[in-house]
Amino acid sequence: MTFTKFAFQNMLRRKLRTFVTMAGVAVAVAALFSLLAFQRGYQNGMRDELDRLGAHVLVVPKGCPYDAASMALHGASWPCYLKMGYLEQVRKTQGVSVAAPVFMNALYGANGEQTVYLGINDDIRAVKRAWKIEGALPAQTGDIMLGATAAKNLHAQRGREYSLPGLEGVKGRVCGVLAPTQGADDNFFYMPLADAQRLFKRQGQLTHILVRLQDPNSMDDVVGALRGCEAGMEMNIVPLTHLFRTIQGMVNSTRLLLGCIALVALLVAGAGVSNTVLMAVTERTREIGVMRATGASMSDIFRLIWLETALICVIGGVIGVVVALAGAQSLEGWLRNQLPFSPTGALIHPELSVMFACLVGAAALGSVAGLLPAWRASRLSPIEAIRAT
Amino acid sequence: MQTLVSAQELTKVYNRGVEEVRALDGVTFDLQKGDFVAITGASGAGKTTLLHLLGCMDIPTSGELLMNGQSTRGLSDSALTRMRREQVGFVFQHFGLLPTLTVMENMTLPALFSKRDAKESAKELLEKVGMTHRRNHRPNQLSGGEMQRVAIARALINCPQILLADEPTGNLDSVNGEAILQLFHQLNRDGLTIIVVTHNPTLANATQRQLVLRDGRLVP
Ligand SMILES: Nc1ncnc2c1ncn2[C@@H]1O[C@H](COP(=O)(O)OP(=O)(O)OP(=O)(O)O)[C@@H](O)[C@H]1O
Ligand SMILES: [Mg+2]
Repeated sequence: MTFTKFAFQNMLRRKLRTFVTMAGVAVAVAALFSLLAFQRGYQNGMRDELDRLGAHVLVVPKGCPYDAASMALHGASWPCYLKMGYLEQVRKTQGVSVAAPVFMNALYGANGEQTVYLGINDDIRAVKRAWKIEGALPAQTGDIMLGATAAKNLHAQRGREYSLPGLEGVKGRVCGVLAPTQGADDNFFYMPLADAQRLFKRQGQLTHILVRLQDPNSMDDVVGALRGCEAGMEMNIVPLTHLFRTIQGMVNSTRLLLGCIALVALLVAGAGVSNTVLMAVTERTREIGVMRATGASMSDIFRLIWLETALICVIGGVIGVVVALAGAQSLEGWLRNQLPFSPTGALIHPELSVMFACLVGAAALGSVAGLLPAWRASRLSPIEAIRAT
Repeated sequence: MQTLVSAQELTKVYNRGVEEVRALDGVTFDLQKGDFVAITGASGAGKTTLLHLLGCMDIPTSGELLMNGQSTRGLSDSALTRMRREQVGFVFQHFGLLPTLTVMENMTLPALFSKRDAKESAKELLEKVGMTHRRNHRPNQLSGGEMQRVAIARALINCPQILLADEPTGNLDSVNGEAILQLFHQLNRDGLTIIVVTHNPTLANATQRQLVLRDGRLVP
């Protein structure tokens, strides 16, 4: 027999009541855990997304929808275009290190499957520094480079020709395959810029320009210069790092609210546990008297009742974490639909440290919630308790 | 002869609203080691109150209690707890076994509180009270007589010098009551000092000495 075993058995005396109380703790901890896991996931996802994108500034046509950044990242057909001539102006702007022109177009098959074609030139290398290419970038007319997933779906082999999905009668010779990036890039078909412009009948036009700065900290100056250049009126300059920060700020403010709700839920659950154990103490007044008569000190009684409270909270916390882990998948799907912008990577990122923090939180809750009932129980005078009926 | 308990002018006053109840009123007596004493008296005479004072469960309003020649006046709660752990064992009319614990666990509970290993003495005691075959049963699987025997074993697990019992046969039929009485005799022969509160004349007459209380005073 140990105190813990004794407290555990006491906890199980009113199974339903204990379970309902535990469920309260579990719900609160699950909410907290999901929230923290989401925070980690979203932050990491956004950072990775920025790294993958490689660009600091995105130049898109004027009049493009606000989510141009998302289109550039995830692939879509564009409703408006930039003139090739602007590219030179962007390049010449003070502080710009690289400006890579891109022409993007998405085609849809009979079943709604999307194929995204990207016209690129050699400049892309300087932007997408993380890219590892097996083979070469598309340089000759008819060349095609495939993202890792696209290559897998086609069972493509380098040097062979394939008909291009959605483009009737057009073939491409695979000159290179992109190593997996874990991003949307994996799904794209890359071809020389001129090929793309010709195939989609947009000669001399671009959908966007990816810009890298010499110094990312001079963002404000460069963005101002770009907006002020001759073609500035025709272009929308999107500072990506700022954009990401704005999106994150939006998400953060909702998160703060949710965090407060989770905290309140935790406090309410703690009050519930306190109340349950207080009730148990009242029911067991005579038993406590008997224990005092047989040699239990005030601190023994305090410890016993406090342990019982802590056990309820810790077990509730474990259940909460397990439930949150089990529900992470569905929560992720739901969140994706709700958020203004979701990175490609996992939104919910349940790290071990977060799990640990939640369990420590539950234990701390139990420790605090246990103080009142434990104090009450330990203060019972032995004779009053024994005479109680 | 060694004086184990010395009660001097023990008085206990309860305040019930405006009314003052003198549950004990100047009770003085000495008990020697090895005594087997019955405390008798009408209901409300103060028997339980006296037993609680002897068991260091409560403190007198005035007067003094000496245990082994040592005064218990002004002792802190933890010091009183230590007295309860080391000097006395308590047996209740309602047995007071904890329902979640087995016979063995109930018996060794005081040892848990005093942080002693009581495995061996528990086995011996179980044997003595004849409950070895029921060691893993829970109280709700026992008869009243069996529960009381477990409760007595529990009271003795820390090897106290004095056993205090408040109407130990009050909830038992005469056969089981007789068995408890036999057990008390046996324990007393082994040197244990026993003080028992009882309404049961058989039990009272079987003891060496009777303290009769009336309205909180000892009847000479
Ligand atoms: N906590 C209390 N508050 C007020 N009065 C009390 C309290 N405890 C006991 N009394 C009173 O003290 C007197 C003695 O009580 P006690 O329980 O010692 O009697 P008793 O001899 O054990 O009686 P019984 O044979 O019925 O058990 C009674 O009048 C009782 O009402
Ligand atoms: Mg009584």
